[in-house]
Amino acid sequence: MKLAFILCAGMALAQQPGQVEGQQQESLKGVVKLNRAPVSKEVLRVNLPKPVERKLRNGLRVVIVEDHRLPTVAMQMVLPASALRDPADLPGLASATASSLRYGAGKRSSREIAESLTEMGATLNVTANYGARSTVLGASALTESLDAVRALVADVLLRPSFPQEELDKAQKRILTQLQQARGSEQFLTEELLHKVLYAGDGRAIVAPTPDAIRKITREHMVAFHAANYKPAGALLGITGDVKPAEMIAKLEKAFEGWTGGPVEEAKAAARTPIGEKRVYLVNRPNSVQTRLTLANHAVDRAHPDYFALQVMNRILGGGPSGRLFMNLREAKGYTYGASSSIANEDFRHHFSAAASVRTEVTEAALEEFLKEFRAIRDQVVGTEDLENAKRALVANFALSLENRPAVLSRLLSLREKNLPLDYWDTYAARVMAVTAADVQRVAKRYVPVDNLQLFAVGDATKIRAVLAKFGVVEEYNADGARQ
Amino acid sequence: MPAIWLSIAAASLLAQTPQLAPVKFSDTRLPNGLRVLISEDHSAPVFSIAVSYNAGSRDERAGRTGFAHLFEHMMFKGSENVGQGEHPFLVFNNGGNMNGTTNADRTLYFETLPKNQLDLALFLEADRMRSLAITKENLDNQRSAVQEERRLRVDNAPYGKSFLAVSELAYDNFAYKHSVIGSMEDLNAATVDDVREFFRIYYAPNNAAVAIVGDVQPGEVLAKVKKYFGGIPSQPAPKAVDLAEPEQTSERRMVIEDKQARLPQVQVAYKIGRGAEKETAALEMLSRILGGGESSRLYQRLVKEKETAVQAASFIQTKVGPGLFQIVAFPRAGKPAEETVGEIGEEIARLHSATVTAEELRRARAMTRRIAVSSRESSLSLAVQLADNAVLFNDPGRINSEYQKLMSVTEQDIQNAVKKYLRSSNRSVIVTMPAGGAAPARKK
Repeated sequence: MKLAFILCAGMALAQQPGQVEGQQQESLKGVVKLNRAPVSKEVLRVNLPKPVERKLRNGLRVVIVEDHRLPTVAMQMVLPASALRDPADLPGLASATASSLRYGAGKRSSREIAESLTEMGATLNVTANYGARSTVLGASALTESLDAVRALVADVLLRPSFPQEELDKAQKRILTQLQQARGSEQFLTEELLHKVLYAGDGRAIVAPTPDAIRKITREHMVAFHAANYKPAGALLGITGDVKPAEMIAKLEKAFEGWTGGPVEEAKAAARTPIGEKRVYLVNRPNSVQTRLTLANHAVDRAHPDYFALQVMNRILGGGPSGRLFMNLREAKGYTYGASSSIANEDFRHHFSAAASVRTEVTEAALEEFLKEFRAIRDQVVGTEDLENAKRALVANFALSLENRPAVLSRLLSLREKNLPLDYWDTYAARVMAVTAADVQRVAKRYVPVDNLQLFAVGDATKIRAVLAKFGVVEEYNADGARQ
Repeated sequence: MPAIWLSIAAASLLAQTPQLAPVKFSDTRLPNGLRVLISEDHSAPVFSIAVSYNAGSRDERAGRTGFAHLFEHMMFKGSENVGQGEHPFLVFNNGGNMNGTTNADRTLYFETLPKNQLDLALFLEADRMRSLAITKENLDNQRSAVQEERRLRVDNAPYGKSFLAVSELAYDNFAYKHSVIGSMEDLNAATVDDVREFFRIYYAPNNAAVAIVGDVQPGEVLAKVKKYFGGIPSQPAPKAVDLAEPEQTSERRMVIEDKQARLPQVQVAYKIGRGAEKETAALEMLSRILGGGESSRLYQRLVKEKETAVQAASFIQTKVGPGLFQIVAFPRAGKPAEETVGEIGEEIARLHSATVTAEELRRARAMTRRIAVSSRESSLSLAVQLADNAVLFNDPGRINSEYQKLMSVTEQDIQNAVKKYLRSSNRSVIVTMPAGGAAPARKK
């Protein structure tokens, strides 16, 4: 609790290694550098561990990273059951199917599944994120219960029973949780931002509507599961206290009879930046802060601009010593945190910058955001800023090696997205190759000023007029209805 | 029950308990009183450093609530050899992560960095322990940041004020009664002299512990710690704060109207004993059985069987002084909050009339083992545990002994602790109701 520095949550979390940093001479105002602290100039180069890879008889690709430090095992299965396959009138079907797998499987009831997981010191979650390529099953276990957890995972995946009584109860809970979420300014921002940036396809959705939740039936889930939970083409990553050969043999046995696939991959076309400036306001009465988010489309990992974009973002707002933080928090005191990020989900790749500022300084804070946006577009970043940002990105890579599940996710994402397998090995060199001119070029392309998409969540009676100074305001209430 | 039976039962239990390799560490006290804990782990080319100061919001005086945390922010603003903002600048630019955090009992600072930046981390932590730059400008600036933090987490957040209300209602002694974040008024009142005095009294080597864990050579680390921290003078030990609580004699109730919440929330809190007490371990095990996840009693009854609530959990706040056993539940839309309060009460009554089952205790032990293993996954988590246990309980070895203590809790231990602390006269109930503009709009 009470951290002095916090990255703005609610922005894309799938960011590059770690967070932060970079300054140009004129925005160094928050930092006084005495240069007396001993710094090692060497940047530690590290490589990800090489996994063992096998394909099971049913076509499931298995990627294993051994690590015997602790008696635990983590698994991640990436299945082609994408939320983008939701029928247009049933948004939420993939998500509901995923979360219902635990409500009953084989001969196990939902309660038995919950109790076994606790008893085994294990966790199991199945999630179909909106806009994502896949449904992801994540499980973890203590080594001593690995066999039992694997059997449970197989039951849940292959033999879900979707008990009607459990589904009815879950539906009521979700309806309540949807209401609860509307109290959060972060949820309200995310909902409208995605609706605007990804209008017209499944990426626009961040939560189902109550109507859709009421319409989804057991039959829909059974059919969705039968069509999309297929092994061929799916990926299973495992890391921890395991012996690969033994694990493969046991997986063959556990998944016996599970066949089918590959399922056709979900696709969503890349978006180009929206050309026209727009201002969106969500009225959240009695708010004492305005949540400001400034956004527009950017690009994905495979795009040639990607690495320059990462470096640019690091300098502008990649964390507690990015320009946005140094200016809006440290110099102006408008906010607890200001940052920017590049969404790095499967099909969502927008740039956004955000801060929650006290209502009275909404206008002033927006002006500072735009001032920093213009500065990084109009002025070439200094050599020191550039080198700092690049070093920060590369050096931070060493830290990620401590977190084996995160290492596994990286290895899986390359395979899932068909990126070159040496992607992470060449990452450092590609970051280091970025020039100041590259930074300026991508800033001009992706940091929005004239085509700004501005989202504000706050007390409309106090900020409506202020926002009108930045463009034509389209207003919504906290229930998502246009006003 | 005869003592001999108990000891046999405990011995056989320990024989069954899956062992967890102890965390090995060295424990050295420098002549200036600084406690230094070092543990090597070469599994990744990184290290973490945690510096825990024996000072928290309990050390604040009336009229200065929020000060320990405001002070924490000042620690990032520079010292004699580190410029304003240079600390985060150097850590992040060299690939590291860092932060600080304050609670009622202690203030903690930490960094994780690639292994070649050990000198940098030690220099930064030592320089601010020795020579913090205290200026009005820095204070005003961080005051604003903290006030925005309060708005973000408390004033503008659903249930933000309810979270603070638990301590305010349950405690009588000012030390734990007031919030860590403090009031806007008190934050405004803090002066540069307050900062100077707080620094002198509490930020001394003899009132702190530093832990370094990771890809390091212990001998080399200790030599460097001596080099960087050895010359910082010790100070007279701060006066211990009286944390004693008078016995609560009747139930306390509060209703909070929350303009940002869309649905009600129910919180129940029982004041319990000190963190080091044996009942605290028993109650920690109980918190898993009663409200630790979907297999727990509260979840199964309130969420699954009766459908009174959509979420129900229990947890324990362990402190140096009296802690809290807490339950939080969110009633389902359309269900009265009082129904949830009633269900919770019945579950507590059940704990008084019968012990938890052997099966439930087995599950709580598995969860405990899992939590213990997970807490060893990162160098930062290990460093924080070592430094905090040294400062809070004068016992860094608690990182290993606490596991055994929890694993040997029995059904009877839990019931004894329930009878001692989970009494209705010792409970505080807070119900939060949506108010103002936050309630869902009516269809026109």
